[in-house]
Amino acid sequence: MTLVHNWHLGRRMEYPYFESRPKRQFAAVFNINRCIACQTCTMACKSAWTYNKGQEFMWWNNVETKPYGGYPQSWDVKTLRLIDNNGGNVWYTDEKDEKLSPYGVYEGDTIFEAAAKKNLNQWAVGYIPEDKEWRAPNFGEDVAMSNNKPDEYSTLPEHSRWFFYLQRLCNHCTYPGCLAACPRKAIYKRKEDGIVLIDQKRCRGYRKCVEQCPYKKPMYRGLTRISEKCIACYPRVEGKDPLTQGRPMETRCMAACVGQIRLQGFLDDNPKNPVTWLIRHEKVALPLYPQFGTEPNIYYIPPRWAPRAYLRQMFGPGSDEAIEKFMVPSRELLAVMSLFRMTQSIIFEYKIEEGPKVFETVIHGKKFEMFNDTVIGYGEDGKEILRTTVEEPIHIRDPKHYNSI
Amino acid sequence: MKQSYKKIMMYGVTLLSCVFFSAGVTVYAEETQGVKGMTEEEFTPAKEVLTVKYVQIDKPYHVDVESLSGAFKDAQGVAVPLQMQDKAFPNGGGSVNSADVKAVHDGLTIYFHISWKDPTENARAIAIQEFRDAVALMFPLGAVNITPSEHFSPRMGDREKPVNLWHWKADWESDLLVKGELEDVEAQYPNMHDDWNTNPFSPYYHRDMITSVSVLSGGRAALNLFSQPGRKRTVEDLNAEGFGTLTTQDHQDVNGCSQYKDGIWTVIIYRSLITEDPHDVQFVPGGNSFFNMAVWNGNEKDRNGQKNISTQWHPVTLERVAWQ
Repeated sequence: MTLVHNWHLGRRMEYPYFESRPKRQFAAVFNINRCIACQTCTMACKSAWTYNKGQEFMWWNNVETKPYGGYPQSWDVKTLRLIDNNGGNVWYTDEKDEKLSPYGVYEGDTIFEAAAKKNLNQWAVGYIPEDKEWRAPNFGEDVAMSNNKPDEYSTLPEHSRWFFYLQRLCNHCTYPGCLAACPRKAIYKRKEDGIVLIDQKRCRGYRKCVEQCPYKKPMYRGLTRISEKCIACYPRVEGKDPLTQGRPMETRCMAACVGQIRLQGFLDDNPKNPVTWLIRHEKVALPLYPQFGTEPNIYYIPPRWAPRAYLRQMFGPGSDEAIEKFMVPSRELLAVMSLFRMTQSIIFEYKIEEGPKVFETVIHGKKFEMFNDTVIGYGEDGKEILRTTVEEPIHIRDPKHYNSI
Repeated sequence: MKQSYKKIMMYGVTLLSCVFFSAGVTVYAEETQGVKGMTEEEFTPAKEVLTVKYVQIDKPYHVDVESLSGAFKDAQGVAVPLQMQDKAFPNGGGSVNSADVKAVHDGLTIYFHISWKDPTENARAIAIQEFRDAVALMFPLGAVNITPSEHFSPRMGDREKPVNLWHWKADWESDLLVKGELEDVEAQYPNMHDDWNTNPFSPYYHRDMITSVSVLSGGRAALNLFSQPGRKRTVEDLNAEGFGTLTTQDHQDVNGCSQYKDGIWTVIIYRSLITEDPHDVQFVPGGNSFFNMAVWNGNEKDRNGQKNISTQWHPVTLERVAWQ
């Protein structure tokens, strides 16, 4: 094992390979608060990549209801239990470093460290979900967790009767469990964009990736007898789709999002990259189960009504700050969130042109002001690809069309 | 104390760079491949020599274990002790502790007869939690002499010391028997629903989808032998030079047949003595070579390095061709 730095954990951790970060990392921000679980993302992925024989059970993208849902069933609970301290999520948060440990320091074991401690003679703890565990991808849909009496209402800031939707796809981790597990090195992480792929020629269907990916996103295909996983729609990300004329394009699941909860981009060092800004600067979007130690790259704005203890377990100790910032958004956050789903091209940089104040109120005792700023998104080539305003433009139909369709 | 520990955790690179760097390098050298060192005995070939008896064989039209069993009746076999694979990650195996190997040749083809006890037959690997029974023979590539002073790893070969492997798989045997020569998911899940057979629209309506099948079956498009229908064989021909390097050959030359009866697998693997492939081991009547082997028990979820291995090479001697 080597020691690599994991900024989600705020410390170095053991990993079988040296630290080697891609030039820019495929990443996305999902605003859980907006998701209506329409599964359009799920179907967009299915109809593009997994409609084939032997893939019937495969959902590279899925939306599950938390706390009871899970695809495969109870994947997170089972993996948390495999970590030594039974998922006890201990963090030291008194000191933080903006770059190295923005959420504090994780004191428990990662999936890699737990495997070494238990002398498992493999790289990470894990289990292979059986076929029956993959069968009901939306098991537990809309089932709420509740401590309420039947006639009792829930009130904010924390609902006591609650559920929320969790949108999941491969996290294209910086330290993938699947990549570590593969004894054949058939899994690789691309230097140019950090996308993690299974080499379909080298794979021999050992299912070590299925076993040791904590998010359970590599899947075994009985027909071809080898494993497959989310490919981050890499032809689109490479700009091969004619629609965007060579510009990097968002994946199918992102582009299809009806609820406008998704924004995809690349995590890099540019503070004016919307994805980077949301994740590293505003810290409103958090990684999923950072304690696994794989440095996942899909980031979530936590649901503001859910119990904080549950959110801290799922998104780490940054949850409280993220919710606070999301509930009373800053002027810049409101502007950046206007970029969600305004274009299929990947936005590499944004600029805000200030507009007039249009609204003000008090939210949970805090003053909130809304400005109708104009947000401009720039593509990889620096050219403007989108221009929008915080207040969505309203089009009023001409009276003569009132009754026409 | 806690504070300083945190500082070390966070700023360790700068504060304790020397300590951590050297520790990191040591750890890397010993463990990065997940490989533990090997003992001297493993580099010493076993004493028992497998004599490949020369017999005249009338190759049957349909090669199976029954029709070939007569050829092995006078062949002297060796019992190969097997143990768990405990050197390279992931470790595993240990459920099969020995296999009997006999071999004959008829001047054209060499036949290896391998049998081992396995109370469960696992001849399908379609469900995610199911793994196949398998056996593999391994030969050093080229003319080599293996002695304690001339190391040649008995575990997957080594860099610059490649090996040729013949890997028989129980599910490939099942594939041969079905239409299309590749067991479909319906073999595992009868009467399953799928969009292809219950589609109300015409094939013309779905022509784009139908023609995209082979392209979007990753393994098929990449010509992965596991995914190909109509392989016409049950044994895969491979090369390796160390852990994690196993690679399917472009040219497949080995075949085999099997029988599972009364808790015993009997597998016959055969190939012509000489091939045109430079990546294949070549056998010459009167000549010598070495072999090693491994057995996978699908019921114990054996696959890859999780297997029952022999830790020593076994010498092989081929009898000369003689008039009988």
